[in-house]
Amino acid sequence: MKCMKPARSLILGLTLLLLTLFSMPARAAAPIDTVKSDVNRVLEVLRNKALKEEIKREKLRTIYGDMFDQVELSKWSLGRNWNKLTEAQRQEFVPLFRQVLEKAYADKILSYTDEKILYDREITLSSTRVEVKTRIVTKSKEIPIDYRVVQGGGTWKVYDVVIENVSLVQNYRSQFTDILSNNTPEQLLEILRKKVKDRKS
Amino acid sequence: MKRLATVVVLCALLAVGCAHGKQSASGPTPSDKPAQAPASVQTAQKSTEPGTEAPGSPAIATGAGKDDLDFMAETPSAETATIADPIEPFNRAMFQFNDRLYFWVLKPVSQGYNVIVPEPARVSVSNFFYNLRYPVRGVSCILQIDFECFVIESVRFIVNTTLGIAGLFDPASHDETLRKQDRDLGQTMGIYGVGPGFYIVWPVLGPSSPRDSVGLVGDFFLYPISYLNPWYVWLGVRSYQEVNATSLTIGDYEVFKEAAIDPYVSMRNAWVQYRQKKVEERGSREELKAPPGAPKY
Repeated sequence: MKCMKPARSLILGLTLLLLTLFSMPARAAAPIDTVKSDVNRVLEVLRNKALKEEIKREKLRTIYGDMFDQVELSKWSLGRNWNKLTEAQRQEFVPLFRQVLEKAYADKILSYTDEKILYDREITLSSTRVEVKTRIVTKSKEIPIDYRVVQGGGTWKVYDVVIENVSLVQNYRSQFTDILSNNTPEQLLEILRKKVKDRKS
Repeated sequence: MKRLATVVVLCALLAVGCAHGKQSASGPTPSDKPAQAPASVQTAQKSTEPGTEAPGSPAIATGAGKDDLDFMAETPSAETATIADPIEPFNRAMFQFNDRLYFWVLKPVSQGYNVIVPEPARVSVSNFFYNLRYPVRGVSCILQIDFECFVIESVRFIVNTTLGIAGLFDPASHDETLRKQDRDLGQTMGIYGVGPGFYIVWPVLGPSSPRDSVGLVGDFFLYPISYLNPWYVWLGVRSYQEVNATSLTIGDYEVFKEAAIDPYVSMRNAWVQYRQKKVEERGSREELKAPPGAPKY
């Protein structure tokens, strides 16, 4: 009946409004806050002198998994070469690359001793990507560290770290591109496997 | 991630490689022409391929944003840094040489020095030499027509030389408005549109390019220490400066190597990115825009 129409559209409108409200991500925190809280979690672990190193590493791995989007990081580091990898190779590459990074940086991070961290501001890179600018103040210098985060499923995750204007993924991309210009993806994986194995002793 | 080594490492590298401390590596210019050498492969291709490649397959669900294909284009926020490397074999040999120089000479000497001299003193020595490079930064500021920079650097110099006792201390840095201005002649040339040219690795001095090498020479003449007589006194003091600088960053080069799959390429790229950014930040001033057609860096 005609008089039901306005009522129906009102109900429809209300329903839509409610749906929109509820579908908003629970953790819609600003990127800078997300980075800050993740970094603080890391600092808590590092500052806890009671923890054994192996436990610290385990905890840091967990935080890393929450803070970083390893797949995005891998994609950005390979760039176009991502397409050269088969699905199986990609499945191997992502965790392998994480292990390379862990091997390289874990010790350095664990040796942190109370430097101050300053959070400066955010820069929007695209509709889903933001750069959070921070600084670490050491005894002898100040080091700018920028986290590039991408939004996925309501949370912001890091896909690139820019230290003193040097982007990590760009740097790896130059190396991977160079290697893949003369090697197959399988050979690249072999290089990475060896690298991880080498210092595992 | 706190002390991510890469940067401090970079500084260590620059210190290791470059005899003049934080050297003027002239901004890397992303070469527009496709690199001749296989090494510099990232050409600044801006076009995103219209979805011909399959984005992240469902097996590796990313949960990441809608611009799934962004990673395939060059990083939109900054052009990918590239540099031609036509003399790569020579460069790689020099890279090896510098690597040996660090592990066999510089590092052991610095470690010994570390044991004898406590860190605060070494930081003071580093401050002292940094302060003495004021003419390099000051002149660069002027040439870049950045008077604010010149004023800041001059105030820093005066404050640190007097209050900071001949530059041993850095009271100027307590003031947020007196930030260090990292300028050099290579960067200045870059701002005026001089492209870096190609990649060169000098023995001892480290990564550079024709433009930056010219910058190095210019910086040399602006650096008071360079005028020490006789030459072996100069050499002694400069070497001491390097040893002291290295002593503050031992371990960073090692972390850098550990992190790299191909350290040579990694260093080249890191250096290129670093120099490019240095020029970019300054080059944003309207009055310094190079004439159209000139390379951006």
